[in-house]
Amino acid sequence: MEKKSFNIFRVLSNNMAWVILTLIVIFFGIFSNNFFSIRNLLNILSQNAYLLVAATGLTFLMMSGEMDLSVGYTMSLVGVVGAGLMVSAGLPFWLCMIIMIALAIFISILNTFLAIHLKLQILVITIAMMTVLQGLSYIISKSKTITGFPIGFKFIGQGLVFNVFPISIVIMFIVFFIMSFVLNKTYYGRYVYALGGNKESARLAGINIKKMRYSIAVIVGFFVGLADIMLISRLGSTQSVIGPGTEFSIITGIFLGGVSIRGGEGKLSGVFAGILCIALLSNGMQLANINIYYQYVVRGIIMISAIGFDVFQLNRRNALKKIKKA
Amino acid sequence: MSKILELENITKRYPGVLALDDVSISFEAGEIHALMGENGAGKSTLIKSVAGAIDIDNGKIIIGDKEFEHITPSDSLHSGVAVIYQEFNLIPSMSVAENIFMGEKIGGKFVADFKKMHKQAADIFAQFDVDIDTHAMVESLSTAQMQIVEIAKALSKNVKILFMDEPSATLSMTEVKYMFEIIRRLKASGVAVIYVSHRIDEVFEVCDRVSVMRDGRYIATKDVAKTTRKELVSLMVGRELVESYPARTPPKEQVVLEVQGLTGNGVSDISFQLKKGEILGLGGLVGCGRTELAKLIYGAAALESGQIFVDGTPVQIKSPYEAIKLGIGLIPEDRKREGVFVDYPLDWNVVIMCLRRIAKHGVVNQKEVNATSDKYISELQIATPSVKQIVKNLSGGNQQKVVLARVLAAQTKIIIFDEPTRGIDVGAKQEIYRLMNALTNEDISIIMISSEMEELLGMSDRIIVLHEGTQAGELIKKDFSQIAVLELASAAK
Repeated sequence: MEKKSFNIFRVLSNNMAWVILTLIVIFFGIFSNNFFSIRNLLNILSQNAYLLVAATGLTFLMMSGEMDLSVGYTMSLVGVVGAGLMVSAGLPFWLCMIIMIALAIFISILNTFLAIHLKLQILVITIAMMTVLQGLSYIISKSKTITGFPIGFKFIGQGLVFNVFPISIVIMFIVFFIMSFVLNKTYYGRYVYALGGNKESARLAGINIKKMRYSIAVIVGFFVGLADIMLISRLGSTQSVIGPGTEFSIITGIFLGGVSIRGGEGKLSGVFAGILCIALLSNGMQLANINIYYQYVVRGIIMISAIGFDVFQLNRRNALKKIKKA
Repeated sequence: MSKILELENITKRYPGVLALDDVSISFEAGEIHALMGENGAGKSTLIKSVAGAIDIDNGKIIIGDKEFEHITPSDSLHSGVAVIYQEFNLIPSMSVAENIFMGEKIGGKFVADFKKMHKQAADIFAQFDVDIDTHAMVESLSTAQMQIVEIAKALSKNVKILFMDEPSATLSMTEVKYMFEIIRRLKASGVAVIYVSHRIDEVFEVCDRVSVMRDGRYIATKDVAKTTRKELVSLMVGRELVESYPARTPPKEQVVLEVQGLTGNGVSDISFQLKKGEILGLGGLVGCGRTELAKLIYGAAALESGQIFVDGTPVQIKSPYEAIKLGIGLIPEDRKREGVFVDYPLDWNVVIMCLRRIAKHGVVNQKEVNATSDKYISELQIATPSVKQIVKNLSGGNQQKVVLARVLAAQTKIIIFDEPTRGIDVGAKQEIYRLMNALTNEDISIIMISSEMEELLGMSDRIIVLHEGTQAGELIKKDFSQIAVLELASAAK
């Protein structure tokens, strides 16, 4: 029997996102005067809480070995539909929120439905779907910004609990803890891992694959809808351009957090750190007044590095295994 | 003894093939029942039918007192059927315990109790004196350990009928003995073990009864104690079979390939010469570096040091592309993954390596493609309805001929056969041997890697034996014997 030796390199490489996050925090701590102020930290968290909420849903999907690129466009469409109903049609905001979440779930289920029946990866379906969603969103919003939300709705993104904690941060932590529990401790969560690890084994072990895929679609849709509500209520307005790009931040954060591109591996706590890395980096780049086009280049490089690191780790493990066998 | 599983008139049709043709067999509790037959006899299809992995077209499956006309994986599982496939159904990135209890609820209704899960897994291992860490990730286990995890998985589900599809194929001799011990214990506890194997010796060692299938049909069931090796083989092939090897013409003196001190890809310091028209056998245990050596010569792996000479000229082979240009071809061991393009037609497969030659100004001429394919179909006697047949619908033997045709069409003079008859049925083997002999008569030289002792001794003109990546020795024809090869292979001097 092999002894479990404490290997600092392995521990660090398994928690890469936390290592990077620590480095980024140290960097900002040194070079920025008021980085460590409670106010600034709360600010950064509340601004990016929606990213983590959306990432939680997408992590379930990516863990199961699939990918969705249409998340950002779903947010645009859901946002303008919800805002339109609230402002123009004057529906009560809680009803609009339910409709928004339902619409996001519907889109996600539609993606999965098409993927199952066309026997394709969800990724491929969403490449087409993102254009459809973008078009619909512009048609509905007529390319205009929608503002004038009721107070109750704005409270979700801008309100405080005990006059200190932004509600969005509270939502973020509740989502994070509940879904971590689901992923790690429940059968359902373990089946998500199993699906990403080996679909055929999972099927032969009596797991209902179709049911799993649809239920994951519901989770993705629910959290994308919720994230969208958090985002536009904080902004106090919405338009068709707010969503696109979100999926890129989320997916990069998830990869950075150690979720394998092949599925079946990763932790939600890693994703938490990964998303914070992305949030801090874009925040820092904006503060440093870096040209937006350079920011694009940097973001792309970060994503490739995150994927490259995942592949590198896999190869290293395979190489180790070969040596052990010989 | 009581009947625990009865198959009645099972029929399964695939496009163009009748995989199972009215098969009826019954199995009893507490027996080890071998299922034998050539490749394509329908054994794997039969297993999948009972497991519910595929849906049968006709017939009944009776498990205990339950009757099924259509059985789902979940029905099958709950009736006590477990299958250990050749390709393990484990999830590499999850722990041993989680794999064992995959699909089952240990703990509450929604929340799993991992402590209990690990304890129960450890209890199963303890029953069989197995020492595997239940927290280990499956990907870190050896093949034999993975198989034990599969068995434990079956046991955790209260298995009554356990199918094992060629369980010994990837195990070493000691591991096989160990596995036998485990299945004997299963038998003693009343489980019906259905053991699919190509190795007749194993059937005689461990099984009680044996059923033979051929071409999707049930042929016969025999008591192992009352049958003979010869009878089983003739039941399998449907005729008396003489395993014989063609008489070899001695090779010419001219050296076509020489390697000196080849090192890299896990092998070190290999030197030998290959003569024109010779079959040079490479022997050794599984994992001793023969395939790795072949890939070095073929340029598919990086050479660290050493020199290769083709026709006396020193050459650098950095890629298969360069190897083919120098007239070296490889017929890989893993036919489906590295040999043929299974989803493409036969002609496409045959010409893929010689497209440059038969294309005019970069445009492929279908007439040339047909001519080339037809030539090899007739020369190699490939049994196919047309040049457009999709290769996966051909039998293993014919697929192997397609790979050979491809290598020949590229006008290679030196061919490396890695396990030329792996997964090919007895009749087709003879044909491959005949072809190899005919090729060497036409001055083509062959390096043959083979794990089948009889084949190695029967076909080779000379044998080089490897041991853990190094050259253990060389045998000339008059010194050929099973013992001599084994002694070198295990480095027991």
